[in-house]
Amino acid sequence: MLGLAGRLWPAWLSPAGIGVFLAGFALLYALPLVVPLTTYQHNLLSLVFMFVAAALAWNWLGGYVGQVSFGHAAMFGVGGFVAARLVLTVGLPFTLAWLAGGLVAGAFALAWGHPTLRLRGPYFSIATIGVGEATRLVLTYWEGFTGGSSGVSLPIVPGLKYSLYWYGLYLVAVVVAVSYAIRRSRLGLGLLAIKADVEAAADVGVAATFYQDVVLFLSGAVIGVAGGFYASYFSFIEPADMLGFDRSISFVLMAVIGGIGTVMGPVLGAIVFVIIQQLLLASYPQLYLGLYGALLVLVILFEPLGLSGLMLRLRRLARRR
Amino acid sequence: MSPLLQVSRVSKNFGGLRAVDAVDLELHTGEILGVIGPNGAGKTTLFSVISGSMQPTSGQVLLDGRRISGRPAHQVVRAGVCRTHQIVRPFGNLTVAENVLVGALYGPPASRRLGANPRQDALELLELVGLRDRAEQLPGSLTLAGRKRLELARALATRPRVLLLDEVVAGLNPVEAEHLTGLVRRARDEREVSIVMIEHVMHTVMSLSERVAVLDYGRKIAEGTPEVVSRDERVIAAYLGRGPRMREPEETSTGA
Repeated sequence: MLGLAGRLWPAWLSPAGIGVFLAGFALLYALPLVVPLTTYQHNLLSLVFMFVAAALAWNWLGGYVGQVSFGHAAMFGVGGFVAARLVLTVGLPFTLAWLAGGLVAGAFALAWGHPTLRLRGPYFSIATIGVGEATRLVLTYWEGFTGGSSGVSLPIVPGLKYSLYWYGLYLVAVVVAVSYAIRRSRLGLGLLAIKADVEAAADVGVAATFYQDVVLFLSGAVIGVAGGFYASYFSFIEPADMLGFDRSISFVLMAVIGGIGTVMGPVLGAIVFVIIQQLLLASYPQLYLGLYGALLVLVILFEPLGLSGLMLRLRRLARRR
Repeated sequence: MSPLLQVSRVSKNFGGLRAVDAVDLELHTGEILGVIGPNGAGKTTLFSVISGSMQPTSGQVLLDGRRISGRPAHQVVRAGVCRTHQIVRPFGNLTVAENVLVGALYGPPASRRLGANPRQDALELLELVGLRDRAEQLPGSLTLAGRKRLELARALATRPRVLLLDEVVAGLNPVEAEHLTGLVRRARDEREVSIVMIEHVMHTVMSLSERVAVLDYGRKIAEGTPEVVSRDERVIAAYLGRGPRMREPEETSTGA
């Protein structure tokens, strides 16, 4: 009976959960200070943190609500360019610039999402492709803001790239915590109900439009912050890289390969994605997209919950032994 | 006594088709009102209009004298009117308990949510409908009767004052139907809900409802106690068609 009550309202703030979370955070925080990482490894980890956060944020909408967006690069780009412009023209500290970029990206997501989210499933996905491409074109031709196809360069601040590791870690920590909080809360249950049947959800009192708007805003805002982070990381951004269709696809792939709708899934997916990209991009630039395609097909055919589903299955097998 | 739910001159058009045509209904507190009629008579459309899934073309729906038509479905639920679906629609990705919990968390109006314990409420409802030992399972593992009881529990979890039941016993065997009929009666008595039910199974309508309204081609053609309605000539004609004896007077009048 106790188990039932716990299951009905799972306490996401379980002591064990908090323990694992804090231990992981402390470990990653201390890692570069204890282990002598090469600059390449150090920076790669910073980039992984950013993509983990982005994949989790994509998953709030794509996994929890079941509205698969192929246009999240739009918010990535908007967040990145707004942050870059704020650093350049106003001289805003870069963390504040990221947050501002995130807010603008969230608001932008809401502007196209509110009317678009009444579409469901494939119809919504197709609409997001249009949104992503339209945003890319507008930003490419808006040279005063984005520098057009030659992009925007940011001043190189000594030591900034090294410290991005920890900022990336903070970002991941916040996004992981929020992911768990949403998943296990009243809001998460409502989102899963919307995902299953939006009309039946409305018929028991779930304000579907409102909650979808809230989630899209949060998702877009975090992706926007990630875009700002990306701008600081490379000190240079340009629309084709920020807003290309393959950028949007990469968020989808990370979540799907890792396991859509879960928390661990997008984390694993983003790690695998970045590693494969780094290993293959330099030597076989044509190959890596093909490999993602193959992975995607395998996941959809054999393990719809992706890597996290695979892990669950292996754990179950091990227990049976 | 003023009615709890008042449907006044509600019409709903789909293009040129008038699915519901100026229907009036009144439901009093504690009552069970049956709505019957042949297939396509507009019964489910009427429910969709009352529950806010669809907006009426004209007319209005009042709950306790306050207008609820024109509001979206989730607000109508919070005002106190909840419907079930003829073809059950459980959330397949949530457990049985979580299904009911969604109703308990989101359905009740803010005023009644204060001090309430949604978990406790959900468990009590699972107990009531006999699904307590299935709480952890997914709805897909339940029989049709089980899913119908789940649908009922989820709707009751929103603490409705008016419950709209769309063919709750359709597709069930007599034993299951009897059980569900008993549940509906208990829901009315123990949870103080008033009920409008669409039903094709005459036995259920007759045994549960004090009053029956009959729809045909979107219009209300009769209303009264089950005994009176089942003897009404227009009702018999709607279900069975007009017999030659009934047509006779018309022919003589037009033929002359």
